[in-house]
Amino acid sequence: MDRRTFVKQTVGATVLAGTAAASGRFSRLFAAVPPLPYDLVAVKGGEPDAMFDVAIGALGGMTSFVRKGQKVVIKPNIGWDVTPERAGNTNPKLVARIIRHCLDAGAKEVYVFDHTCDDWRRSYKNSGIERAAKDAGATVAPGHSEGSYHPVTVSGGKVLKEAHVHELILESDVFINVPVLKHHSSSQLTAGMKNHMGIVWDRGYWHRNDLHQCIADFAGYRKPDLTVVDAYLILKQNGPRGVSLDDVVSLKTQIVTTDIVAADAAAAKLFGVNPDDIGYIKIAAAQKVGRKDLENLNIKRIAL
Amino acid sequence: MALRHLRTIRVVTSLLLFLPALFIFIDLTGIVPPAAVTLFTSVQFVPGVVKLFSGLALSAAGLALVVLLTLLFGRVYCSTICPLGTLQDLFSRLNRKRNSRRRFLFRRQNYLLHYGLLGLTAALALGGSFFLLNLLEPFSNFGRTVVTLLRPVALLLNNGTASLLGTAHVYMFFTVPLHIPSPVAFALTSIFAGVLFTMSYMHGRLFCNTLCPAGALLGLMSRVSLFRIVIDKAACKDCGLCEKVCKTGCIDSENMRVDFSACVGCFNCFDACPTVGLRYRVSRAGAQESSIRPVNRRRRTLLRGSVGAALMVIPGKDTLRAVLPVPTGKSRSKLPISPPGSGGTGRFTSRCTACHLCVNACPTQVLSPAFLEYGPGGILQPRMDYTLGTCNYDCVVCGNVCPSGAILPMFPEAKKLVQIGKARFVKDDCIVITKKTECGACSEHCPTKAVHMVKSEGLFLPELNEDLCIGCGSCEHPCPSTPNKAIYVESNPVHLTAKKPESKKAEPQLKPGADFPF
Repeated sequence: MDRRTFVKQTVGATVLAGTAAASGRFSRLFAAVPPLPYDLVAVKGGEPDAMFDVAIGALGGMTSFVRKGQKVVIKPNIGWDVTPERAGNTNPKLVARIIRHCLDAGAKEVYVFDHTCDDWRRSYKNSGIERAAKDAGATVAPGHSEGSYHPVTVSGGKVLKEAHVHELILESDVFINVPVLKHHSSSQLTAGMKNHMGIVWDRGYWHRNDLHQCIADFAGYRKPDLTVVDAYLILKQNGPRGVSLDDVVSLKTQIVTTDIVAADAAAAKLFGVNPDDIGYIKIAAAQKVGRKDLENLNIKRIAL
Repeated sequence: MALRHLRTIRVVTSLLLFLPALFIFIDLTGIVPPAAVTLFTSVQFVPGVVKLFSGLALSAAGLALVVLLTLLFGRVYCSTICPLGTLQDLFSRLNRKRNSRRRFLFRRQNYLLHYGLLGLTAALALGGSFFLLNLLEPFSNFGRTVVTLLRPVALLLNNGTASLLGTAHVYMFFTVPLHIPSPVAFALTSIFAGVLFTMSYMHGRLFCNTLCPAGALLGLMSRVSLFRIVIDKAACKDCGLCEKVCKTGCIDSENMRVDFSACVGCFNCFDACPTVGLRYRVSRAGAQESSIRPVNRRRRTLLRGSVGAALMVIPGKDTLRAVLPVPTGKSRSKLPISPPGSGGTGRFTSRCTACHLCVNACPTQVLSPAFLEYGPGGILQPRMDYTLGTCNYDCVVCGNVCPSGAILPMFPEAKKLVQIGKARFVKDDCIVITKKTECGACSEHCPTKAVHMVKSEGLFLPELNEDLCIGCGSCEHPCPSTPNKAIYVESNPVHLTAKKPESKKAEPQLKPGADFPF
């Protein structure tokens, strides 16, 4: 019996023993959650899927986040009608590998969606994510329909008090945020927190009412259970869509953490900017959504 | 082969062609590949004729087939290929109350009206105004009827199913955005459909022999058709059944004559004839034998006069433009924007039959029927409406499905350089200025970075590089500024070529193999 099977079975037994009816969100109450060994894991030098294997392993495997029978939603960046090598969207190989880990951990269903900017069907297809996610066993859901978004109160939001959030985010037990690191013409940088603009309906409101403040406000609403920043290929300029391959730089790096602010702070440093120069990182840290003081975090650094 | 089988063949053929025709206009999700749409529409007569003016050789094959068919067998096009013809037959069938013994009667055709309209339509079209053509042309009217009146029904059914299954997280279907059709498009199309319904319900194929320009032109050709329907005076029992089933009223059973120029080739008469009194025969001299004389001398003179007058009144499109009201629109853009591949508004409006195939096919639904933006001649021709969406950078679907050559097919690489308009930035309305906060929605969506952000007083403000702009509306559509957009696209009446975006190869901040910067 290998480690993964052992952990899976132990967790499964715990859940079943706890209560037969325990499912969904409540299963966490009954399953003992061990403290994570690291605040943040950074990996470099491998392929996106291989780097994720190592990173999630360092955090105790996907079973640390996903329990048997749970519903998982994975939110990559599928914003643009561009091919994977253009780095406008999350790497499809990474998305597929995360899905497999979730299913191996016993997830009942894994959903993938994004509220795209370009035509959603072309973006889903040409990003390679639709195919990869389906092949990996996930359900690919549309994010283009206003009816799928439901109003929520953003408690603690300074400017953003209300948002319409996609039902899969509201219904799922586990939310895994999988942004790609990019230059961004609106917010200067996009990674974890900015990626959340793809789970809400009315982005125009954010743009109209202090973008950085809104991004930070919303980050406090529903922190992802895991943020995986894809920095395998990054858009160094002309983001977030990119104009040509000239905008793309190979970094072969990945950041995995439960702290979305730490994810963005580390991503900013990888990109080559000071996290304090990015409005929403500064505000989110000040609002105690997460930590940007990377020097005080327990970081596992792995070179492949 | 017994002639009575011809009717069965006609019915089967027409339905086999009608159902795909119906489907391509309510194909909400692009199931039919554009190549199949093109193949299918290549035999549509008026779009084919219009396409000739764009010099598209491929389209000529379909058109040649139709002409050949007509020269051989008469207007069989009208009863098989034309979807509006089949639609009329369906309407006509609804009239069950029609006295079964006396259904149709011989009707002397109104050649003056029909050919007069044809002449006027052709003259206007050649002069650059598709006003009459688009009002009367059958294929496009069929398309508009389906897109405007049936598509929303199909869409609601689809969206209802998608929403229902969506609650169970089954995403086999997905919702398609419903854009309320413009009131004008809805009203005009409803009126047309109502008139067509009444005409066909009461009088069969009356439309085809009074208003339809395709019917008129094919009717002229069928006057010299090789095979023609004639009454064999020796075999005819004079029962008159053929006349009663003739939905064009072109059989004069009393005088045993057939007006073959008005015959749409439905072959109901062969089916009804109890003997072999009707023949479909090679008849170069047939005119004397059986046909009704097309027009009397007085009418012919009148016809010539009216066509001539029409031609004199409308000598060219410049004159036409001069007497027409100046186009107006609610958009901040002063002029309407025509889709990429159309060359510009001038070329587009004199090539588009407003069939709305592109309106249905456009994945972002940015194409919207115009009212008077293009002028009266351009009513219902689609224009880019950036309040509805943007023109997706790599998408070339509209050009791939256009049957008339109004939007020419293009490779994505070529399309990405077609400048259909230029963005205009109204700094004083910009969020960055009015609210003193970051925004950048315009630059974010801009596929060429013609709109880029520059630091100005501590904030990033949009700046335009007109040369790179293709006018796709990616800036205008997401601009959150209210009530007026701070950035909008102004039309290029004649499309131009944008500069290809170039940028320096980006350099990574971290050298390969460098340590983590944290």
